Amino acid sequence: MNCSDVTREIPLYSYGELEAESEEAVESHLAQCEACRGELAKQRAFMDVLDARPVMGDGSLLAACRAELRQAISHGGAAGSGGWMETLRRFTQVHIPMRIPVGAMALIALGWWGARYTPERFGGVAAGVGGPMFSSVQSVEPDASGKVQISVNQVRRHVVTGSLGDPQIQELLLEAMREESNPGVRAESIVVLQNTADSVQVRQALIDAATHDPNAGVRLKAVEGLKPYANDPSVRSTLTGVLLKDDNAGVRMQAVEMLGAHRDDSIIGALQDAVQKDHDSYIRGRCRDLLEAMKASVGTY
Amino acid sequence: MPEATEAVTAPLAGTLPASGGDETAWIRAAQHGDADAFERLVRAYDQSVIRIAMNLLRSPEEARDVYQEAFLKVYRSLHQFRFDCSFHTWLYRIVTNLCLDHLRRRKVRREESTVVETAEGTIDRIAEARELAPGADPERQTWNRQIGGRIERALSELTPRERTVFELRHYEGLRLRAIGEILGTSEEAAKNCLFRATQKMRTRLEAFV
Repeated sequence: MNCSDVTREIPLYSYGELEAESEEAVESHLAQCEACRGELAKQRAFMDVLDARPVMGDGSLLAACRAELRQAISHGGAAGSGGWMETLRRFTQVHIPMRIPVGAMALIALGWWGARYTPERFGGVAAGVGGPMFSSVQSVEPDASGKVQISVNQVRRHVVTGSLGDPQIQELLLEAMREESNPGVRAESIVVLQNTADSVQVRQALIDAATHDPNAGVRLKAVEGLKPYANDPSVRSTLTGVLLKDDNAGVRMQAVEMLGAHRDDSIIGALQDAVQKDHDSYIRGRCRDLLEAMKASVGTY
Repeated sequence: MPEATEAVTAPLAGTLPASGGDETAWIRAAQHGDADAFERLVRAYDQSVIRIAMNLLRSPEEARDVYQEAFLKVYRSLHQFRFDCSFHTWLYRIVTNLCLDHLRRRKVRREESTVVETAEGTIDRIAEARELAPGADPERQTWNRQIGGRIERALSELTPRERTVFELRHYEGLRLRAIGEILGTSEEAAKNCLFRATQKMRTRLEAFV
C-alpha cells in the first residue's frame, strides 16, 4: 500500500470497518510513515470534533411520544386487531336494514357526547378531547375488603381548531406566546400570529416577546414577525432597543436589517451607539455602512 | 376498580431484551395481540428511535411524527414479521425510510433550516434554545453553539442517504453491514457512502480540526 491508498482507507480504518487483511496493511504502512500517521491523527481529531455536537432530545419528548403512541393505538392504531377500523368494518357488515337505525342512534349518541364534552369556552370553535395524555399516581390505599383506591392526576390534551380570525383562537395563541416552559410553542405561536400583527394586541405581544422573551430563538421570531410594521414608531423604538440591548448577535443583526430597510434620522443615534459599543464586528460594520449610506457621522462627538 | 397487575407495575423503562429469546417471545406475544409485550418492544427500542430521528431531522416535531408513524407501522404490520431479519433491523429500516422521506420533502419544500448564519458563525437554533438553560457556562455555550452549528450545516449539505449512513455509523455506532441491511443496499455501497460523507464533512469542518 502506498500513501494515497492508505489515506483513502483511513476513514474506514478509524471506524474499524476494514477487512482484516486491509487493516494489517494499513497498520504496517502507518508504522513506517509519519505523514500517514499525521493523516490518521487528523481523522481522529475530526471524529472528536463531531462528538462535540449537542445531544438533542430529552425525557419529556420521549414521554410525550410514548403517551401519544399509547393513545393512537388505543384509538385505532390497532387496525385489523380490534381497533376502531375493525369496529367500522364489522359495522359495514351489518345487514342493510339494520344500518339505518344503528346509524341514527350513533348520530344521536355522537351529538350527546359532543355537547357534553365540548368545553364551553370554545363555544364556536371545534374542540376535540383526547384520552389522558400524562398521568401520575399520587397515592395508593388498599382497604380491608381487598380493593385498592388509587389517586391519579391526569392531564388531558384538547385539540382546538378554528380560523386565525377567531378571537378565541387568537386568545389561545397569545396565551401560548407566554407559555414559559416551552420556547418551541412560543416560537410557533409567533409564526402563526404574525400574519395578524395588524391587531394592536398581537403587535404588542410581539413587541413584548422581542424585548423580554428569555429565549433568543423566540426573540428572533418575534422581531421577524414585526417586519411588515418596521415603519411603525413603536416598532422602530423596539428595534433600536433590541439593537442596543439584546445579548444575542443574531437577534441584533435582524434588528439592524429591519431598521436599515426604512432609513430615517431617528435611528442614527442607535446606529452610532452600536458602532461604538457592539461586541460583534459584523454588526458594527453593518451599522457603519448604514450610517455612511445615510450620509451621517459614523462617530459621536 | 381494577386490580393492579404485573403488566402494569413491571419495570419497562428503556431496557433492551435480556436475550434474543426474550425478544422473540415478546414479538410472538405481540403478534398474538399482547399489548404489554408490544409495549416492552417499544420501550426496548424507542430511545434509539427518537435519537436517530432527532439527529437526522433536528426537529422535535418531525421526530415525534417519525416515532409515531414508525411504531404504528410496526404495530399494524407485526403480524407479517417472519423473522427474516432481526427486529431492530426491520424497525430501523422503517425509521430511516421515514426520516429519508422527511429529509427529501424538506429539500423539495426548501424548508427553513434550524441552522442560521450569523455574525458569530453558524448557529443551530434548536441547539441554541437548549443551551440557553440558566447556569450553563457561557464560554462553553459559545463554543458548542459554533461547533454544533457548523456540524449541522455540514450534515445538511450531505445527500439524505449520505447523511443517514453517516449518522447511523458515527452517532449510532451501527456496523456498515447492518446499515446496508437497513437501507436495503450492500455493505460496499454503504462503505462508499460513508467514505464520501466523511470526506465532505472533513473538508467543511477543517477549521476545527
